[in-house]
Amino acid sequence: MRFIIPLAVSLMLVMPLASAQITPEEISQETMPEPGENWFISKTGNGGYIFDATTGEMQGLLSLSRRTPAVTMWRPRGEFYAAESYVSRGVYGERTDIVAIYDFENLSPIAEVVIPNHMARLGVRNHLGLMNNGRHLAVHNMNPGHSVTIVDVQDRVFIYEVSTPGCAIIMPVADSDFLQVCGDGTLQLIQLDLSGFEQNRARSEVFFNVQDDAVFDRTARSADGWFLVTHGGTIFEVSTSGEEINIGEGWPLMSDDEEGWRPGGGEFISAHQELGLLYVAMHEGEVDTHHEPGEEIWVMDVETQRRVHRLELEVPARSLMVTQENEPKLIIADDEGDTHVYDALTLVHERSIRTPGASMFEDF
Amino acid sequence: MNIERIIDRTYYWIDDNARRTSLALARKLSRRSFLSRLGMMLAGAAAFPLLPVARSFAQSSVQEMGDPQSCDYWRYCAMSGTLCACCGGSYTSCPPGSEPSPITWVGTCHNPVDNRDYLMSYNDCCGKATCSRCNCHNTVRDKPVYFNSNSSTVLWCFGTENTSYHCTVSLVLGTIDE
Repeated sequence: MRFIIPLAVSLMLVMPLASAQITPEEISQETMPEPGENWFISKTGNGGYIFDATTGEMQGLLSLSRRTPAVTMWRPRGEFYAAESYVSRGVYGERTDIVAIYDFENLSPIAEVVIPNHMARLGVRNHLGLMNNGRHLAVHNMNPGHSVTIVDVQDRVFIYEVSTPGCAIIMPVADSDFLQVCGDGTLQLIQLDLSGFEQNRARSEVFFNVQDDAVFDRTARSADGWFLVTHGGTIFEVSTSGEEINIGEGWPLMSDDEEGWRPGGGEFISAHQELGLLYVAMHEGEVDTHHEPGEEIWVMDVETQRRVHRLELEVPARSLMVTQENEPKLIIADDEGDTHVYDALTLVHERSIRTPGASMFEDF
Repeated sequence: MNIERIIDRTYYWIDDNARRTSLALARKLSRRSFLSRLGMMLAGAAAFPLLPVARSFAQSSVQEMGDPQSCDYWRYCAMSGTLCACCGGSYTSCPPGSEPSPITWVGTCHNPVDNRDYLMSYNDCCGKATCSRCNCHNTVRDKPVYFNSNSSTVLWCFGTENTSYHCTVSLVLGTIDE
């Protein structure tokens, strides 16, 4: 007992000294590393979550407005572009639509361009399109007539609003042109001049009937143009040469004994441009079930117009995207809020990533 | 000078005609007669809805069946959005404080009670946060955004003071055989 009390007292004195020897940690800030292969953005209701599909690790977040239709980027300038719509008091007050510009390094807003308060405010990938010159960004509007806002993202200025009655979505082609799908069963080509003003517009022949078998407003970029698909499952590859719009012969996704199958979902179609592989979410259902998630992913070889793989899913797919790398990944958002990464060639499941509410993906 | 004279003469002509007409009426009609004619007009106006044309309108009131808080309710066949009937409104009225959008999309729905097809107007109620109850996504004859009059996925808060989406109502515009 004689020794216990002095021992306890000496231990009490030594303990604080021991903890004092640990260097206090300091908070630091990460910056984005150089984007790697198979990076992608998973867009949800509150932002763009950036992931590396190879590791499944999240790299950072782009904060976006709740009504942002999509986000895109231009790697040579190291910038992201998003159309955003805000109301000053959250749900009421003054509305302001902008094109926001974010840098790669910090994913922070570095500039914004105020645009007319007409953007459609729907989560549709094709409601935002950066022209292939990397300079003119087009935002789809509905007020409720259709129009397109053009912004020069290099000079950070609003150019003007192009009226496009009866035609919607933006599919960039050539250097500074874009195609649209129109309700009368045609395509419209809008060609911009160097300043971003409309220089010319052209209309294709009628190639579908919106009442009998409408073309989806979700499309996939091909090597030369775009793949369009109808509710009934007919694929059209479209492209342009100068002022001319070329519409390929339609070919079916399904064989004669697969009539009950239909394409559908959210952003349900994507293509690997170089390999000529088309990935489509398919489900069994009646007419007008075109928003049903896909029970299977069908992989089509566009050269032979034949199916090369059927991937059965445990949870139906809402949206998908294939990355454009040599070893591409197929990214699938399922109907329960999970994201899955597959090898896009072997269709082997590699990992699942939790990104609640992912509605579409953007290749990095 | 000429113009002023023309205007003066026109005013004089109007005054003179009004005076003479009033005098003629006063001579022809007693006060009791005027009141009786006014009474007849009022009674006639009140009886107008009883005429055959009015009765045909009355007959076309829609017979309802089912639960208006369910996405399967017959009126919602082409509706995508949240049901105002679950959010303090009904299938024809916006919840308190929300503003009906005058611009709509349309659909055609089959009423199982009378076996008729009805032209439906889907109006969004706007100006409040989205009511996250009874979210429905029905797509009968739904078309893509480029054909927006039949597109259920569009936010239809146009022409309202505030463009925030709250919920959706479904109004009968008529039957397709009318």
